[in-house]
Amino acid sequence: MLKMKMTAILAALLLLTACAATPEPETVAKDTGPDLQRLAKGVTLPAYETVQLPNGMQILLMEKHDVPMISFEALVRGGAVADPEGKIGTSALLADLLRRGAGDRDAMEFARTVESVGGILETSSSKEAVTVSGQFMSRDAELMIELLGDMLTEPTLARTEFDKLRARSVQQIAAMKDTSLRALTTIYGDAFLFGEHPYSRAVMGTEAGLASVTYPDIRRYFIEQFGADRTILAVVGDFDTATMRARLEEEFGGWRKAAGTLPEVSEPEPVPGNRVLLVNKPGATQTYFYIGNVGVARGYDKRAALDLVNTVFGGRFTSMLNTKLRVESGLTYGAGSRVTQYNEPGSVAIVSFTQTETTGEAIDMALGVLEQLHAEGLSPAQLASAKAYVLGQFPPELETSGGIAERLAIIAFYGLGRDDVDQYAGRVAAVEREAASAVIENVYPERGELVFVLIGDAAAIREVAASYGSVTEMQITDPRFKPAD
Amino acid sequence: MLKRALPAVALLLAFFVPVVQAAPDDSLGEDIVEQTLPNGLKVVVWPDHDIPNVAQFTWFRAGGRNEYPGITGLAHYFEHMMFNGTTTLEPGEFDRIMEAAGGANNAYTSHDVTVYQDWYPVSALETIFRLEADRMANLSFDPEVIESERGVVYSERRTSVDNNNFRALMEKVQATAYLAHPYQFPVIGWPSDIENWSMEDLKTFYRTYYAPNNAVLFVVGDVDPDRIFALAEKYYGDIPAQPAPEPVTTVEPPQQGERTVVLERPGQTPMLQMAWHSGAADAQTMPALEVLMAILTDGESSVLHQALVEQQLAIETGGFVHQGFDRGLTWIYAILPPYGDPAVVEKKITSVLDAIATEGVTPAQLEKAKNMLTANYWREMATISGKAQALGTYEIFHGDYRELFDAPAAWEAVTANDVRKVATEIFRKENRTVGVLKPVAADE
Repeated sequence: MLKMKMTAILAALLLLTACAATPEPETVAKDTGPDLQRLAKGVTLPAYETVQLPNGMQILLMEKHDVPMISFEALVRGGAVADPEGKIGTSALLADLLRRGAGDRDAMEFARTVESVGGILETSSSKEAVTVSGQFMSRDAELMIELLGDMLTEPTLARTEFDKLRARSVQQIAAMKDTSLRALTTIYGDAFLFGEHPYSRAVMGTEAGLASVTYPDIRRYFIEQFGADRTILAVVGDFDTATMRARLEEEFGGWRKAAGTLPEVSEPEPVPGNRVLLVNKPGATQTYFYIGNVGVARGYDKRAALDLVNTVFGGRFTSMLNTKLRVESGLTYGAGSRVTQYNEPGSVAIVSFTQTETTGEAIDMALGVLEQLHAEGLSPAQLASAKAYVLGQFPPELETSGGIAERLAIIAFYGLGRDDVDQYAGRVAAVEREAASAVIENVYPERGELVFVLIGDAAAIREVAASYGSVTEMQITDPRFKPAD
Repeated sequence: MLKRALPAVALLLAFFVPVVQAAPDDSLGEDIVEQTLPNGLKVVVWPDHDIPNVAQFTWFRAGGRNEYPGITGLAHYFEHMMFNGTTTLEPGEFDRIMEAAGGANNAYTSHDVTVYQDWYPVSALETIFRLEADRMANLSFDPEVIESERGVVYSERRTSVDNNNFRALMEKVQATAYLAHPYQFPVIGWPSDIENWSMEDLKTFYRTYYAPNNAVLFVVGDVDPDRIFALAEKYYGDIPAQPAPEPVTTVEPPQQGERTVVLERPGQTPMLQMAWHSGAADAQTMPALEVLMAILTDGESSVLHQALVEQQLAIETGGFVHQGFDRGLTWIYAILPPYGDPAVVEKKITSVLDAIATEGVTPAQLEKAKNMLTANYWREMATISGKAQALGTYEIFHGDYRELFDAPAAWEAVTANDVRKVATEIFRKENRTVGVLKPVAADE
């Protein structure tokens, strides 16, 4: 899991990623089967303290003394769902602006202060929150609290910085279209799938949306959508809880609440029937595709079973999708499935790419795998393998203070409680085939109820696209990620 | 999860990856133990019991520099083939068995090395040893599988180079900067070579480079070294050593004049890349160069970010140093806004570099760079995966993993004068290759 905020190009370079997948493992590790019982003991969260400030801010503190560093993660409810209508990217701009000067420091001085002590301080927006995270040596704890406090409660929000950032954000999207189609596939996909629903909004904004964001919009967002009652702060590392608690209470105790209300987000409706969006990139030698529909929320009660099903379907190298499209046929470098979960249901989608000439073949093959999932469910061997995999790969997520801080914040954000970690291994181990089948039925769309997004050379794939449903076409240079109304 | 990806750059950039924490500690690494089997396989074990997991990396001294025209990309292709079946396991079984035991894996190929990475719960220890040793000893060469994997690699090339203007330009700059040395070849291979290498090429490559005496095994995590050495002996002990591979003897002659390469491709965004010949990974001047590059390109307060991005000449800028067996390139790049003029940006970068060469850097810049490098170093030491990568880097490129623990002191010892000297030595106009991507309108 990449945590650092990366710029488009770095992200593009790192996105050599492929997802994974699993075929019929009849011969799974005969002699050295996974020690499921041992794995199922899992990892648990060490003790941590929860502090509720009178102004509504929630603070989670966990001491971890193996190394003299402190990590933190702050989530401020809002994010893209709180972007003003049509001004997609407002929260992302605000998140960027937080780093561009706060308290007595201007942008340069702020960056220099963080970097001079080897600290990390990052900001980003997501669908439902603005995130500030970082890590400092514990000897710099006082500086860390000061910078974090300044950033959250009194960012400068300088007009000149806003102008520069907005221009650059628009240009970065144009640059991504030259380098990062793979990363853009899910952005176009979710934008088209969710349509008018706020989950359709690209977190980083669109070229058109960003261009319409004004400086007053940013100030308004900060006043209305930022404040103590929106904020969860998790701090993990080498400190004394009582001292840290007192300092944070002092720093944030007087912080105001958000002046506005958090926009209510309705439950998105699954899209009925098949729909196709064709994004034309003339000359592309490869077609990038997304096939999906609306899935389930983060609070979904069969999450452990869902994790197992998605692991088998498209969540690892030997997944059904990757086996079929990559390992057995060589049609792609990677095929997988992706599940996003928010307070309300996110999306579930197949994502892959293939050379232009094999677009239809690869998509048909992916649809065949989806049908197979529905028809056959998970075999006992697949289920056992997925359990071992999910349990075996879980501990590294909590290896570092940064990983733990992120998890603590998420748990509080979705109101899940520590059981989300502590009981996870047990829940995974207990999943039976029937539960997996129920999840497949509930979460994964079937043929005939699919949203397709294809990015590629339209002249060459227009006909193929039309074979999956009624096609809407747009240009890659269009300053939006979904067709204009 | 990366999957069998490639090159140096991705690698270098991957260093910026998260990882978190860790602190200076004199005892760091004192529990590392090593043994070398009679067949030459070196095994290095670093116990770390924080989580019940293991990171196991197998490094082979085989990469793009071991190729020649006609077989470019073969090292990388071979990396793919290592997952495609042995005489004892059908294609796909390697991954199926590993994942069913709770493990995950990946691999990458660079100009210099091929590295296979396994991350698994300690309960899978013996399974992983069996799988890894099996593919070092018994790889099979099925013509059908070879053809299918060609398609996968081609798809990888289409995604990572042909449909990515930044990477497409890098390929051209790299090929222009080297006239003699095999660093000129793209790690993923030229398209016609991907189409044409033969079964015999593969077999020769396997025999030559995938020998125990050409590999080093690093095991970091919740393990007992004695158990690891016993497993190594049991599973790798019978694999015969091979004659040492032919050394790469070509030395790139000094560059004696600026080279430029222009690439015209559909797109909206102009790009500029500049690359200078610098040193090998173990060059004496490398710590000073790392400090210099941190001053120039790390963070929003860095010199080039301030000069280019804050002045709205570029959307983003960055740089990296190829640290390999032979003299690599030091890169600086800028992504321009759609209306941007690469000539203006090139001039600006040149003037920034000239200023450092003549005026040097400030004590504050020096201090900041050292703190950033050191903090990143300790962040890498905070995970078993980071440790395995770091051990490998120092063992393979510096000849001894113990040098890893000297790195902070080496940065600390760098003076402002060292930085100025290395800038003067490397950032000379006649020593550079400049690549420009000119976006053109797509036809339709």
